[in-house]
Amino acid sequence: MVVQMENKITSFVNSEDVDRPVLINVEDTNIYYGDNHAVKHVNMPIHERSITALIGPSGCGKSTFIRTINRMNDLIPSARCEGKIDYHGINILSPKVDVVKLRTEIGMVFQQPNPFPKSISENIQLPLKFAGIHNKKTLRDVTEKCLKQVGLWEEVKDRLDRSATGLSGGQQQRLCIARALALKPDVILLDEPTSALDPVSSAKIEELLLQLKKDYTIVIVTHNMQQAARIADYTAFFYQGELVEFGTTKTLFTMPEKKSTSDYICGRFG
Amino acid sequence: MKISKAMISELPDDLPKSSLLKEKGLIKRFTDRYSESRGRTIIYGSAFTVIIAVVAITLFLTLQGLRSFVVDHINFWTFITGTDWNTDQTKNPSFGAFAFIFGSMSVTLLAALIATPIAIGSAIFMAELAKKWGQRILQPVIEILVGIPSVVYGFIGLTVIVPFMRVHFGGSGFNMLAGAIVVGVMILPTVTSIAADSIRAVPDSLREASYAIGATKWQTIWRVVIPAAGSSLMTAIVLGMSRAFGEALAVQMVIGNATKFPHSIFDPAATLTTIITLSMGDTTTGSVINDALWSLGLILLIISYVFILIIRLLSRRRNV
Repeated sequence: MVVQMENKITSFVNSEDVDRPVLINVEDTNIYYGDNHAVKHVNMPIHERSITALIGPSGCGKSTFIRTINRMNDLIPSARCEGKIDYHGINILSPKVDVVKLRTEIGMVFQQPNPFPKSISENIQLPLKFAGIHNKKTLRDVTEKCLKQVGLWEEVKDRLDRSATGLSGGQQQRLCIARALALKPDVILLDEPTSALDPVSSAKIEELLLQLKKDYTIVIVTHNMQQAARIADYTAFFYQGELVEFGTTKTLFTMPEKKSTSDYICGRFG
Repeated sequence: MKISKAMISELPDDLPKSSLLKEKGLIKRFTDRYSESRGRTIIYGSAFTVIIAVVAITLFLTLQGLRSFVVDHINFWTFITGTDWNTDQTKNPSFGAFAFIFGSMSVTLLAALIATPIAIGSAIFMAELAKKWGQRILQPVIEILVGIPSVVYGFIGLTVIVPFMRVHFGGSGFNMLAGAIVVGVMILPTVTSIAADSIRAVPDSLREASYAIGATKWQTIWRVVIPAAGSSLMTAIVLGMSRAFGEALAVQMVIGNATKFPHSIFDPAATLTTIITLSMGDTTTGSVINDALWSLGLILLIISYVFILIIRLLSRRRNV
């Protein structure tokens, strides 16, 4: 099924970023909250150094799914996962996986900007300190590099010691992205990163993600279909816990295979 | 249409037209069913009673406490720095209360030192680690600890801690450390439950942020949750200290009540509260000793105010 779909996709490729190799392969993954079957039999690839968007109406399981990729759902006692998410030949869902190490390779940014109530520089240095890096120079260099990567350096370089909670919402979210970059992850998961932000800040983040996909694999959950159309190379449409359709963004938006996909894209529900 | 007409017809015809205007007399205001005046009077009255009580206590204690300096001409400086408390001598009584101020302070600090690690530890256990189990077992235990009267704590201290001290550290066994242990256990539940509340108040988004950057559970607790709860944890400790500072009975039963300046934590000592409760009954109103005890009470009050001020400052910093 997946293979078939992929074959079809390749015939529509005309963007240069949609023929990258697959980094994460999701095979028949099911997620339950207690008895509630929240995500059903999902199969999809996530391609290296590209942006994959997950769209769908509220409660369709897209957030639940993205939180499974770095095992954040482990924090919810009733959540249970079955299936296989292949990453470098390892099944992420296996109980043998070191989740702490996994999360340093697959970072995450959340809907609400959640900087630590500490200084700006400490927000970026904390992941390094958690990983056992205490060299002052390294810490300073990484802080500067990460803040430059998210375009925040010029705005905050004079107040690195001030509390991060004093920044604007958009700046806080970019700081959270910088924090996720500190450990040089392979993958960055973003769970509706712009839904709490104003349009200008959202545009900045979108621009930033387009920059970052040169070096990172990005998966983004979004409510905003225009956002998916603007930035994503691949789009997956979730509905009622099922992955209805997956394809290059262009294919999915111009020639959707399923009726519910085109209904959702045309705004007939959601 | 029909219904509304019927309802209107049920209303009396002689409904006063001027009922929009408030033209009621003083008595009518209280007898009228629809008047808010009664409720307002009761609530305003309660609020003012509390305020008046606090102001009255402060004023009364200030006036009484200042008598020893103004009427009896005790030197204020020697009162708060002197260590010689000899009130029985009729000729040259000396009133140096520093030993008690110091005693109160050090018992409070020691009690906080004993209680804080245990309290924060059990708060973390309750609020972070074993949420269900902690809630079911530890919460009732803490409530029971709060409910035990201080005389029981004192009595247990007297029968368990004092003999232990006597055997292991010599002397009578009545000493400052015994007092601090008893008070430390007493303030434990207060500090624990406030600390647990402040840990629970840390938003889950911060825990998520921490796990998402590859933190372990302990790193999350020590480096993210505890610092985020920071100033409210301090509030918990200061609140416990202010309780410890004011405790009289339990301390009095185990501390030895020596008016001499203690040179180690294994020396018997006295605190401001214990000296007041011990001596107040034996003095006559208006005597110099009685006035001096009032002055001790005033010092106690001032220091309590300082504690409250610290708590206020901490909570204000939290709100910024």
